[in-house]
Amino acid sequence: MSSTTKTARIGEELWKTRVDKVNAELVTLTYGTIVAQLCHDYDGDYTEVNKQLDKMGYNIGLRLIEDFLARSNVGRCANFRETADMVAKVGFKMFLNISPTVTNWTSDNNQFSLIFEENPLADFVELPDDGRAQDELWFSNILCGVLRGALEMVQMQIDAHFVSDVLRGDDTTEMRVSLVRYIEDEMPPDEE
Amino acid sequence: MYVSNCSTSLRAQTNKTRAVYSLIIINKAGGLVYQREFHSGLHKLSTNDYLVLAGTFHGVHAITRSITPRLPLASTTTNPTTASHSTTASLSLTSPSGTTTPTASTPTASNNPNNPAANTPSSSAYSYPIPSVPASGLEFLETDKFRLTCFQTQTGTKFLLFTDPFMANIDVVMKKIYELYADFVMKNPFYQLEMPVRCEAFDRHLGSWLRGRI
Amino acid sequence: MAHPRHGSMLSFGGGPNDTATAEKPPFQNAPVPTASQSSPGLRVPSNRKTIYDRHLNRSRNAELSRASFAFLFSEMVTYAQRRVTGIQDLERRLNEQGYPLGLRLLDLLFYRTIAGSSSSSSSASALSTSSSTTSSPPNRPLRILPLLHLIHGPLWRLLFNRPADALEHSVSPDTPNEYMITDNDPMVNTYISVPREMSMLNCAAFVAGIIEGVCDGCGFEAKVSAHNQPSEMWPGRTVFLLRFGESVMEREKVLEKAGVK
Repeated sequence: MSSTTKTARIGEELWKTRVDKVNAELVTLTYGTIVAQLCHDYDGDYTEVNKQLDKMGYNIGLRLIEDFLARSNVGRCANFRETADMVAKVGFKMFLNISPTVTNWTSDNNQFSLIFEENPLADFVELPDDGRAQDELWFSNILCGVLRGALEMVQMQIDAHFVSDVLRGDDTTEMRVSLVRYIEDEMPPDEE
Repeated sequence: MYVSNCSTSLRAQTNKTRAVYSLIIINKAGGLVYQREFHSGLHKLSTNDYLVLAGTFHGVHAITRSITPRLPLASTTTNPTTASHSTTASLSLTSPSGTTTPTASTPTASNNPNNPAANTPSSSAYSYPIPSVPASGLEFLETDKFRLTCFQTQTGTKFLLFTDPFMANIDVVMKKIYELYADFVMKNPFYQLEMPVRCEAFDRHLGSWLRGRI
Repeated sequence: MAHPRHGSMLSFGGGPNDTATAEKPPFQNAPVPTASQSSPGLRVPSNRKTIYDRHLNRSRNAELSRASFAFLFSEMVTYAQRRVTGIQDLERRLNEQGYPLGLRLLDLLFYRTIAGSSSSSSSASALSTSSSTTSSPPNRPLRILPLLHLIHGPLWRLLFNRPADALEHSVSPDTPNEYMITDNDPMVNTYISVPREMSMLNCAAFVAGIIEGVCDGCGFEAKVSAHNQPSEMWPGRTVFLLRFGESVMEREKVLEKAGVK
């Protein structure tokens, strides 16, 4: 059994046994109202909306990681490839009941893509037909921030951004994730 | 020093139930963010003493981590020293009564299977999986009157649980406390990260869960 | 209220009833497309798969993690807090964020009630039932009481998987337009501890907004607010106070005389 399959089983098991559930539509609509509010507050400046969504996600990620760790009981990943599987098969499974595909690795194993077949946040969603939203708005951008915040708390600085989205008329929804660096744990004070 | 101070107060507790005496939460920077007793008869330290206790423990924890022997990374394939992943440090204090009987750390203790850090399926195959993986540091202190168990999350927060030395399944209690923390502290929009925890729902659920256990 | 209430939601796909409430999509030039044709201005994936190709009931029994909701809601509260002047203002904002959900959920509720009451579960029959003007009696409430039952039962079940805990009418003769729906332990507040200095705040103002959206969407103008009514057993007990507008009360009298239920 591959380690990916094993990780996927952990995710499945956690979803079944350890995750409290709510109606999916409540979550979807709540996210929708958040995005709509931002579009309203920033007067349709989608670049700024993307930024705000990422920031909100980051704040969530800083907290969500504790829930992930407390409930999953998983240990540290040995490398970034393991991290990718853990994010896709356990993290996304626990919180959104989906398992995006991990693919398109660079040869240095520092960059990969998550391909989303399903995206509950975007259920029922159609972007505004204003000639700009499909070019400028990343509707699910909060997810990038969540990943960035959560991984930072376990000593990984990453960059995450969407490169395509079916809401924009693309054939796939793809997020690109790059490891910037491992954040060194604070060194023990040698001499000061 | 402060640890034994604390134990002195705990001695007042003659109740032999296998009890959880108190809980302390220390943030990443070593600051005390939560302190609570679960038994009414406990002698309290002053707020300042608790702050010092948190800071001191944080420091000692860091030191025990820094003195952890590090094995060369390159040797992982040629020299599978499986024991090297056990970066657990344990320390025994003399009992507060002054009798110098160092409690020998038992094999079960140092190889604590409940230690979440050592329990990872992946870590057993590597001596130091990635350079950033910190050694675990001090995980428990024990006197003949109480035991202090430290659980450090992967994010760097420390949960310190003071219990009866004979209490079993501390890991279960610890895990539940972490879950309650993830729920009632982390999901509370009015809680600011790294700041003192003042969440009424956390207090309430923690208290009722611990009461329900006994 | 000065702000445009209907104007703060992205154009969500809807069912056959989508245009029934005639609410304006928020962004100019954004026509609400019908199920058969996607709006011409939007690009779609090459497989042509859009939200209109998916059955509206596919998410009916779908579940997501409660934690995800909690984190989103928490962030919504935090964000709202950055832009408000006080507790009332914060509650107003949360109410506004819930309002569009009420409008949307109302359509969904009607659609499903109709689909559920018709004999077949196929989408075709559901569509024909709802689009035909002659079939099936309107399940849209005309009087206050059926509306309240719709909120207390089906709406609460859709949102929280259980009915609300109580439904009451004001006993005061001065306020016959006031009704109360009680939730002993509102799901949205589960993980929230309000700081002492803000003890008046109830974040379920968001749910009050949802209720208000449902009422307005049904043609029952109302103001809805959330209030703390803790009891020993239920520290988070919340009462949603619904105050119907005068026009609604007048119509209510006329309908009563006419024998409409």
